[in-house]
Amino acid sequence: MSAALAETPAGRVFHALGDPTRRAIVERVSRRPLSVSRLAGPLGITLTAVAQHLRVLEGCGLVRTEKLGRVRTCRLDPEGLTLVSRWADECRSLWERRLDRLGDLLAEEN
Amino acid sequence: MDLSATHDTFVLERTYPKPPDRVFAAFADPAKKRRWYAEGEHAAERFELDFRVGGIERQLFRLGENTPFPGTAITTEGRHEDIVPDRRIVISSTMSLGERRISTTLATFELVPEDGGTRLVLTHQAVFYEGADGPEMRKGGWEKLLDQLGAWLEE
Repeated sequence: MSAALAETPAGRVFHALGDPTRRAIVERVSRRPLSVSRLAGPLGITLTAVAQHLRVLEGCGLVRTEKLGRVRTCRLDPEGLTLVSRWADECRSLWERRLDRLGDLLAEEN
Repeated sequence: MDLSATHDTFVLERTYPKPPDRVFAAFADPAKKRRWYAEGEHAAERFELDFRVGGIERQLFRLGENTPFPGTAITTEGRHEDIVPDRRIVISSTMSLGERRISTTLATFELVPEDGGTRLVLTHQAVFYEGADGPEMRKGGWEKLLDQLGAWLEE
């Protein structure tokens, strides 16, 4: 994936789901909300590692976490994969890049 | 099913140090247009351009292996609605993801001579279909994603 696409909202979702552990987290919380420690157990990774993955997933809107009492619960964010609704933003940045490439092309011509 | 349509308009401007006829040529010549329009982060698998009023422009590219929908085709089919040499180009086009229409847009490119160069103004008006924001599409998108996640996890 190019750097330009990686910086778009959809690109961040693609990047987040490129990691097998994060895909496993998304799949598990899509069935029901889970605490961080219950998430970490079967994945065989530390709570710190889970927290890092959750930050990535929260950052691109795929997963939401909330603290209830002493337990942090993770759930799927139904808004997160509106890849298509992100198309409005995608369109604009796509055209920004196209017009820049048009400028590059014109600059090459003499 | 939610049949809401959402609308979005934006305006982009660029100034290029080349006269309008050179900028216009980058829209009229298929080889040139392909370079700035259809290549870049994703090289289009197919690009066709028939530059005349009523002429069709088609683009197809596929989402890569590192996306949630690998191999899915994104197609854009546009029609040149108005062409004024060196001054204006208007294209209406519909974008689809697989079989589903995502959006229809009207793109107006105005070329304004300015200090020996050209100011290009793009006014981009879009309607995003219920797929763009509706719960059905959201649900469908999730279901498809989760099916694919399941397939990946079983591999």
